[in-house]
Amino acid sequence: MPTISLTVNGKPVSAEADTRQLLSVFLREQLGLTGTHIGCDTSQCGVCVIHVDGKAVKSCTMLALQADGADVTTIEGLASEGEMHPMQEAFRDHHALQCGFCTPGMVMMSVVLARDNPDLDDDAIRHGLEGNLCRCTGYQNIIHAVRAGAKAMKG
Amino acid sequence: MKKQGVGARLIRKEDDRYMRGRGEFVGDIRLAGMQDAAFVRSPLAHARIKSIKVPDDLAGCVFTAADLDEVKPITAVTALPGFKPSDQPVLARGKVRHVGELVAICIAPDRAEAEDMAARVEIDFDALPAVHDMLMAREKDSALVHDHWGDNIFLETLVDDDMKAAAGEAAVKVTRAFSTARQCMSPIEGRGAIAHWDGRLEQLTVHSSTQMPHIVRSGLSECLGIDHGAIRVIAPDVGGGFGYKGILLPEEVCLAWAAMHLGHLVRWLEDRRENLTASANCREHHYVVTAYADKEGKLLGIDAEATVDSGAYSAYPFSACLEAAQVASILPGVYDFPHYRCHTFSAATNKAPILPYRGVARTGVCFAMELMIDAVARELDMEPTDVRMKNLVRPEQMPFDNITNKHFDSGDYPEALRRTVEAIDLTAVRQRQKKGESDGRVIGVGFAMYCEQAAHGTSVYAGWGIPMVPGHEQANARLTPDGGLEIRIGAHSHGQGLETTLSQVANEVLGIAHDKIKVVHGDTAFTPYSTGTWGSRCMVMSGGAVAEACDQLAERARGIAAKMLQCKPTDITLKDNRAIGPSGELTIEEIAYIWYRRPQDLPPDVNPSGLEVTAGYKPERDSGTFSYAAHAALLAVDTLTGEVEILDYVIVEDGGVLVNPMIVDGQIFGGAAQGVGTALYEEMRFDADAQPLASTLSDYLLPGPAEIPSIRVFHMETPSPYTRFGVKGIGEGGAIAPPAAITNAINDALKPMGAELTMSPVTPRRIVEAIVAARSEKETAA
Repeated sequence: MPTISLTVNGKPVSAEADTRQLLSVFLREQLGLTGTHIGCDTSQCGVCVIHVDGKAVKSCTMLALQADGADVTTIEGLASEGEMHPMQEAFRDHHALQCGFCTPGMVMMSVVLARDNPDLDDDAIRHGLEGNLCRCTGYQNIIHAVRAGAKAMKG
Repeated sequence: MKKQGVGARLIRKEDDRYMRGRGEFVGDIRLAGMQDAAFVRSPLAHARIKSIKVPDDLAGCVFTAADLDEVKPITAVTALPGFKPSDQPVLARGKVRHVGELVAICIAPDRAEAEDMAARVEIDFDALPAVHDMLMAREKDSALVHDHWGDNIFLETLVDDDMKAAAGEAAVKVTRAFSTARQCMSPIEGRGAIAHWDGRLEQLTVHSSTQMPHIVRSGLSECLGIDHGAIRVIAPDVGGGFGYKGILLPEEVCLAWAAMHLGHLVRWLEDRRENLTASANCREHHYVVTAYADKEGKLLGIDAEATVDSGAYSAYPFSACLEAAQVASILPGVYDFPHYRCHTFSAATNKAPILPYRGVARTGVCFAMELMIDAVARELDMEPTDVRMKNLVRPEQMPFDNITNKHFDSGDYPEALRRTVEAIDLTAVRQRQKKGESDGRVIGVGFAMYCEQAAHGTSVYAGWGIPMVPGHEQANARLTPDGGLEIRIGAHSHGQGLETTLSQVANEVLGIAHDKIKVVHGDTAFTPYSTGTWGSRCMVMSGGAVAEACDQLAERARGIAAKMLQCKPTDITLKDNRAIGPSGELTIEEIAYIWYRRPQDLPPDVNPSGLEVTAGYKPERDSGTFSYAAHAALLAVDTLTGEVEILDYVIVEDGGVLVNPMIVDGQIFGGAAQGVGTALYEEMRFDADAQPLASTLSDYLLPGPAEIPSIRVFHMETPSPYTRFGVKGIGEGGAIAPPAAITNAINDALKPMGAELTMSPVTPRRIVEAIVAARSEKETAA
């Protein structure tokens, strides 16, 4: 089985990866980072979104081998020294989650949306999150949270 | 201390772990020696199994029905007269009855290898004609799902309240047929379970993504023939339920059997393909309804025939008949009329067994009844809201026993409608319609109302006689030695926020700060028996039980404080973590410390019962709470493409006293979004061989953030006279009315063209077809 080396949440890691293993499965099974969830296997639901070299990526769309040498951030790496990222705080404060299963992907996607467009309006948020499904919230509070989180990220 | 009790808008205690990726869902659990299971599932909807060939090298890794001889089938009977029971083998035996039915379990170190094994198992089938349509299932010459039944009817029911009388008096008679598509509930986390046999404890432990751990434990005990005491079921964090996880799964039974026989842990995690193709299991109803009314729009009677596609087996614990049995009792909705007949059929087909999805039968009956109201209004050329006003149960009639003996506890239904009409600004909409739209689209406004029986009690379920009848709901409350409070409940929270709201209830009674209260749920070893989380029951039932347990605990704490402060217990007030007496006070922490750590300080005549209480609760009447709402949709329809855009959506809702208004709003937004999915997008179609025609989320359409409108919610808060704090259940309501409100709005928009939609989801194709049909009808008439 080939070994891959990459940076995950700021730390260098090396681990074996089956040639057919998806990056989402690798993160969960090999590295124990179970905050990245799996919801559909076919890249529609968005619960497995992580950051790969600064881009928001559905980690089920990549083989683990393709992440060799990459810089990866997962939901576990978003808070710094225990302090939640402003987007995490905004999701909590606006009741933008219920069961919490879609939340990691939703937050990781929203961070990149807000970083790339600090003046997000509701329409841009709704379309920016089209690849992320939530079955609990009806999205309304997620939209409010992303707006507030984007504002907080701007500082 | 800022208010933290009933009515406070507190952020949720549970969110910290979810936000940091530290939630623990069943797929996140790592246990030593765990292996993965993949199932061989039937590719055919209806066939005899001639043979199953397992390659020799897979012996000991692959198991079929022949290996599980001692395991009993899953049977969920009802006490309803005429019900035909079905035996659901946990692995198919002799025959397969729906696509996705389990045929064999394959176990390997990881899922990929287990799937490789499953691909090598060969099954020789004799295909049989499939029963793919519930109306055809009722015909005499239909193929039979269960050969020995002689027909395909789980249950037929009839209620008739002098229907003939209505026909004679009526000025108008309107008949329509309605249907609602089969859906897949689609929580984002699928089902999943891990089974483990602990040889030292002689105990089976099953971690499962379930809404009802105690019921799963009872079901496992029955199927496996082992004592309840030898089974522990743990429901960890659960990624959405909605009814999908309110079931004893054949997969759970298989995993348990495997763990008991193989000596290692076995895990199965449902993937999306399994979820869609093997478990599209809800909502599929068909109605033929005739409404009789006078010329003022007052309803004289409703005559209905309803068929529910119950699928192949009676699922445990809710049975194959819960939907149709409810249809008959709740079809009259929020209206008061004198004559009623309802004839229902629970039809067996070669599809996955039906389960109650959020709102259960209400989404279907609301669709049928509310579309009928609008059809009557069109016939009489009246405003649909005026027809509703003429027929609503009035506030002065409350509490009201309706024509099917449902006991509506409280509320002002006409006021909810008035506020909705005002919020959507019906007058302005009618003016705008006269002017027309500059972009060529047509706009329409639609209304729908429902009332929602929640927290069903013993008297309601005893009549159905299914394997699960709710009794007193229990909760345990315990002070810890450092003055913290632990609450234990047998129901489960998977998005509802019970870790927060039950803490608010405890704070209301005991005055203990929110951050010192912990709510424990989801483990049969630590919690009192409960039928679990279903039917919008937890705030009423678990909330009532927590309040009761905290009342008793308060009395115990006051007793100890009174001894220490040398006053009467009744002189003690519990507030802000303190027990305050006339001439001194103790903190709760001091009381707990004295009881647990310094008993030598207590007088000898102290009450020995201690600071831990388990209490049971039922509301004063157990016939359920009735929350209700009026929904209004304003939308635009492109008559060339059939595309619909929701321009405004208003909900005026009355869920009694709200424990946490933020969480209630969240439940309503989320429910309504599922309702929009039911109204416009979600449909699992089946071909004539009963093959499901969607297998990924690109062909089974769940609404995303761009499809769901901003919803405006307004509250009324009429307390229930029967429950603690006056709370009512509200978890499902949001999902009930949108298909009716949206379809009524589409029909309002298309009224000038003479087109009318009567099937959900109302897809662009169906809209265009209805317009074309109306046009050709007009041309033929001309």
